[in-house]
Amino acid sequence: MLSAERLVGGYGGADILKGVSVRLDPGEIVVIVGPNGAGKSTVMKAVFGLVTLREGTVTFDGAEISGLPTEQRVRRGLAYVPQERNVFVTLSVHENLEMGGFVRKTIPQAVFDRIYALFPVLAEKRKQPAGELSGGQRQMLAVGRALMVEPKVLLLDEPTAGLSPRAMDEIFACIKAINAQGVGILMVEQNARQALGLAHRGYVLATGENRYTDTGAALLANREVAESFLGGGH
Amino acid sequence: MEIGGLLLYLMALVTMGGIYAVMALGLNLNWGMTGLFNVGIAGFFAVGAYTSALLTTPPMLARSGADVGGLGLPIPLGWIVAPLLAAAVAWVVGRICLRLRSDYLAIATIGIAEILRLVALNEQKLTGGPFGIKSIPRPFETMDRPWGEIALMALVALLVFATYLFMERARNSPWGRVMRAIRDNETAAGAMGKDVEAFRLQAFVIGSAFMGLGGALTAHYLKVLTPEASEPLYATFLVWVMLIVGGSGNNKGAVLGAVLIWLLWTASELVTGALPTEWGVRIAYVKMFLVGLLLVVVLQVFPQGLLPERPPKLAGEAAPR
Amino acid sequence: MIEFINNYVIPGLVLGSIYALGAIGVSMIYSILRFAHFAHGDLMTLGAYIAFAVVVAFGWPPVAAMPLALVGTVAASLAIDRYAYKPFRKSRPIVVVIASFGVALMIRAAIMLIWGVQPEPYVEGINPPLESFEPFRIQEKHIVIVVVTVVLVTALHLLLTRTKIGKAMRAMSDDADLARVTGIGTERVIAWTWVVGAVLAAAAGILTGIDTLLKPYMGWDLLLPIFAAAILGGLGRPYGAILGGLVLGVIQELSSYPLLSDEPFISPGYKIGIAFAILVVMLIWRPQGLLRGRVL
Repeated sequence: MLSAERLVGGYGGADILKGVSVRLDPGEIVVIVGPNGAGKSTVMKAVFGLVTLREGTVTFDGAEISGLPTEQRVRRGLAYVPQERNVFVTLSVHENLEMGGFVRKTIPQAVFDRIYALFPVLAEKRKQPAGELSGGQRQMLAVGRALMVEPKVLLLDEPTAGLSPRAMDEIFACIKAINAQGVGILMVEQNARQALGLAHRGYVLATGENRYTDTGAALLANREVAESFLGGGH
Repeated sequence: MEIGGLLLYLMALVTMGGIYAVMALGLNLNWGMTGLFNVGIAGFFAVGAYTSALLTTPPMLARSGADVGGLGLPIPLGWIVAPLLAAAVAWVVGRICLRLRSDYLAIATIGIAEILRLVALNEQKLTGGPFGIKSIPRPFETMDRPWGEIALMALVALLVFATYLFMERARNSPWGRVMRAIRDNETAAGAMGKDVEAFRLQAFVIGSAFMGLGGALTAHYLKVLTPEASEPLYATFLVWVMLIVGGSGNNKGAVLGAVLIWLLWTASELVTGALPTEWGVRIAYVKMFLVGLLLVVVLQVFPQGLLPERPPKLAGEAAPR
Repeated sequence: MIEFINNYVIPGLVLGSIYALGAIGVSMIYSILRFAHFAHGDLMTLGAYIAFAVVVAFGWPPVAAMPLALVGTVAASLAIDRYAYKPFRKSRPIVVVIASFGVALMIRAAIMLIWGVQPEPYVEGINPPLESFEPFRIQEKHIVIVVVTVVLVTALHLLLTRTKIGKAMRAMSDDADLARVTGIGTERVIAWTWVVGAVLAAAAGILTGIDTLLKPYMGWDLLLPIFAAAILGGLGRPYGAILGGLVLGVIQELSSYPLLSDEPFISPGYKIGIAFAILVVMLIWRPQGLLRGRVL
């Protein structure tokens, strides 16, 4: 479905990615974890075309997309939710969703309905400026906006960063629900244990390289991984 | 044109080109070295020009319709006070605007320049209004032709050389290194514990002082001063073109650009002189158009200019990548 | 009181309408393309002179010449963006600002080359106050200026709130990076920003010409008040720019009220200084503007 092979690159200075590979099969949830500076977010950005790659290829749906502008990637069914500043604060909730579907000629009402059904709180606040939403609600709106193109794969960069434990649980539940509708999910998470518990497969990155690759459950069970990367063995 | 005339023409060219070189060096300190977007050169030019003219012009000769006479003081005094007053104005502007993004500095410096032009135009009692100040003394004007011209040219050349040496020393000093650090990465420079705002203010004030000096030199060289002299096209944008074409960040480039652009600018006057008056007027607009075109094109085609910036190598500093 | 309204409030609102139209463009270009567009005043002049050419060629009144002039100015602004600004999209914004000064000189030089420097009226003749508004002295041109402004501002409001491209313009001015990753066609949004900016600028230029005279420096002289109005209202806030324009226009006219003596409080020669003073005050006191826009 989506595969990134041996990516090397960064933001113009020193390379942050030093040969990372990541794969996502149809319908999977794949989680990328690792310490700060491992290049987790950079992998996501590279897949979405926001990073200059010196080497490596990204293929999606059987075609190489490495050189495509982001707009084209969105058209092909890839959607990305940045970690922060991920809603248009002066636009209303509903307008934010409309912008999510910008690449579509017309947006069927059913798409809005499905997203409002997934996030009922957004339906209540559809006319409010997104800047007035709480952290968790903003995250929902950001995810909802990405869903407007009915993507095949959703890229989530730390969707629970800075949220309360309750809001975190809500977001994880939503991610599961979205995946149940057949959308592949590639995400980076600080909150590694909870995310791996949800994931079909996981990647542990360190210093821009792959360190461990396994199913979510196996990574959680791996003592080395737990000690070095998941914050002790508790 | 006979030889004597040609020589006088060449000397005029070098003299005025040299005055522009002083201003281009000042702008290079602002923009080339520190990244401060000063588009108010005309304003600092005007402060310098009017200050020196008012201080040195003999009381009776000064202006038509003006109440206050010139003070008739010695010329060197004018040339010292003019840059100091320009620096004072720059200090006030800089204190308010330098901490904000560069676009704001652009708006503020343009605003100051416009207001100073209005002052020159409206305060007739002081500045002579649209008629300006006449009979400003020119150094060495009592000497016989061409010795007076030669002496003045030599003096301007000396000033350019002194300014150049001053700017080179500044560039190679630790102070200059901090400036470049601020220009290239303000946040990092701030994190290094440098008081970014104070350094920027120093660069802005000193650069503007040289623009004021340029104004004073121009007033004395041309002997008349009207508000038109501080028209942004001549006083601001021509200097910008000179610096960008010569190579911003490079002091030699600033001097080269000033002389070269001034050569082209005046050479076209030889052509227009031969044309009917109506065409002569139009050529002025064509030149204005070309200044604009150069600003747009040079930055696209060769943004580094004729003499690109070379960071000075200092003992103990790692070689650039 | 009536004299006060006639002498200060009405001219202030008329001037403010013109400022508002220019300021909206500057404000939107700043927030979407991220640079201060210093050729905006000269874009206004260009619009005014294209209308002049149409008036001279066909003998139409200036308002009828407006649509053609707007189209011409939009075409010019798109060409300018393509050749002068687009090559710098990935450079530091300040480099584009330098280019915009170059463009300003080029437009002005071209205007002087084609039309000369003599101030020209659109239509010769005097413009008496309309009798139906007695005792207020309102001339036909005042009505034209205010009506055109209201129509354009309403059209802009509908564009920004009802159309997909208008919402995308607001989105991009909110956060250009997010707009890009959302799949919004940013070059299309930029093109529409020039359409809006140029239409409003050309209209402001034509209205200035109707109010006074056409001069090659008319737009350059308006640049400072326009920026002051945009900053006063908050950059990136079109409604703020309207507010800023009107406030500035009225303050500028009021400044010549003989407050302390028989002399004007501030000599009319320094009216433009008011704009600058407001700019500086906003800079110190509230750089985000009245409606919380961006800080430069």
